[in-house]
Amino acid sequence: MHHLVIDRWSRGSSPLHQRDPRAKLAALLVFLIALSTTPPAAQAAFVAYAILLIVAANLARLPIRGLAGRAALVLPFSATFALLTWWSGDSLRALGLAEKSFLSGMAALLLVGTTPLTGWTAALESWHAPRMLILVIQFVYRYLFVIAEQAQRMRWAALSRRGSRKRSRRVSFQFSAAAGLVGVLFARSWQRADGIYHAMLARGFRGRFVPAAPPPFQTSDALFFSACLAGCLAIRLLL
Amino acid sequence: MHIPDGFLSTPVWGTLDLVSAPAVAWVARRAQRDTQDHRIPLLGVMGAFVFAAQMINFPVGPGTSGHLVGGALLAIVLGPAAASLVMVAILALQALIFQDGGVLALGANVFNMALAGVAAGYLPYRLWEGASRSGAIFAAGAFSVITSACLALGQLMISGVPMAGGVLWASLALFLASALMEGAITVAAVRAIERLNPAWIGGPRPASSRALAAVAMTALVMVVVGTLVASAAPDGIQRLTEQGLAADWSQRTVGGVAGLGLIVALCYLGGKLISRRRSA
Repeated sequence: MHHLVIDRWSRGSSPLHQRDPRAKLAALLVFLIALSTTPPAAQAAFVAYAILLIVAANLARLPIRGLAGRAALVLPFSATFALLTWWSGDSLRALGLAEKSFLSGMAALLLVGTTPLTGWTAALESWHAPRMLILVIQFVYRYLFVIAEQAQRMRWAALSRRGSRKRSRRVSFQFSAAAGLVGVLFARSWQRADGIYHAMLARGFRGRFVPAAPPPFQTSDALFFSACLAGCLAIRLLL
Repeated sequence: MHIPDGFLSTPVWGTLDLVSAPAVAWVARRAQRDTQDHRIPLLGVMGAFVFAAQMINFPVGPGTSGHLVGGALLAIVLGPAAASLVMVAILALQALIFQDGGVLALGANVFNMALAGVAAGYLPYRLWEGASRSGAIFAAGAFSVITSACLALGQLMISGVPMAGGVLWASLALFLASALMEGAITVAAVRAIERLNPAWIGGPRPASSRALAAVAMTALVMVVVGTLVASAAPDGIQRLTEQGLAADWSQRTVGGVAGLGLIVALCYLGGKLISRRRSA
């Protein structure tokens, strides 16, 4: 597993990358609320939302196809429910469900594709999200790939150790083998957490974290947010 | 079940966001109070562990496998407040980075999985641990999954996502199956962890009484049942009383089970196809 594509995207230097994370987060919320309250009959509005997102992605110099591909991860869930809705005779609403979930996913990706994790967590913190939650989010993200890689290696190792004898093919045997993997993964994670704490102490951790001061909110950030607000309102109210 | 954006009606996601925000603040304060310094990295690493443990497949039958969901395991290891907080962090990351669940629907997903789901995974363990340890852990896993799933289903139905009779029963059957699976996996995982070091399981013992836990458990069950009944009420109950319960019920059940069988068969075939292509 390689480092996440989104991490690479978020380190760009486009005009959108340089905007204050608070402005981008607020713009995301405005967009999502406008999108979520748009009635499914207003199909023109959905096209306009999509155009807005494409313009933003161009501004951010992010690959549209990559964004769409990642946003398509919501489709298995939403397509199932869209099919059910279509089945019960409401085809317009079905289309709306799929469009809304897909466009929402695109918009969220645009935020994290142009803002590093530390940026949007700092924005959340400046809006008084609990400090403890921010810390846990940062730790989870930091160690997500480390531990997932470990799990992957352990899975491969277990698969290659597993013989073709009859005993090892029994479901109950495989089940307890998987439980053993989870147990060992847990043990290694626990030990890693201890190691992390010792490393923090070695670097002078004194029992509290000192958040970095957020950069000033500039006029360009306010302009960016106003433009997003105006665009969303115009689409929502006019189309 | 992570609800994406666009599925919940505005009153539903709005209310749940408004409910979840102060609840998360409260949970964070409690977790901060109960957690010593050296356990702060542990919370984060345990979140990453749950993410990673979901990659490990547990075979449960021919061609089907499940994986750990982890809410109950976290609650048993870390205690309810810290486990809720870790789940909130996981859900926030899933919503923003992995497109699993919506941003506006985050309040709903947090309510279903991080608040109600973790509570439903902690209370049976706390209440019945003395009577039968394995039974309590099994109930914790199963109850946690079924609570989250039923709440999500109820919220979708209140929002007006139509569920034809057969689909509703099929999804309830599916939830029950995955709940039993989560129970079995949680028991196996806890046993495996305890074999390595019994001190890891157990976590901080809260001071609150068992009576309070029992009341909380009853309240939780009522919330889940109430959500389902309320969401089914507008037409479901009316139709049932109009058409006679038995005939309708059996018809729906047959439809549901048939649909479920079809889904399982399709997944099985798809899995075969993919694994053959991988190994080729």
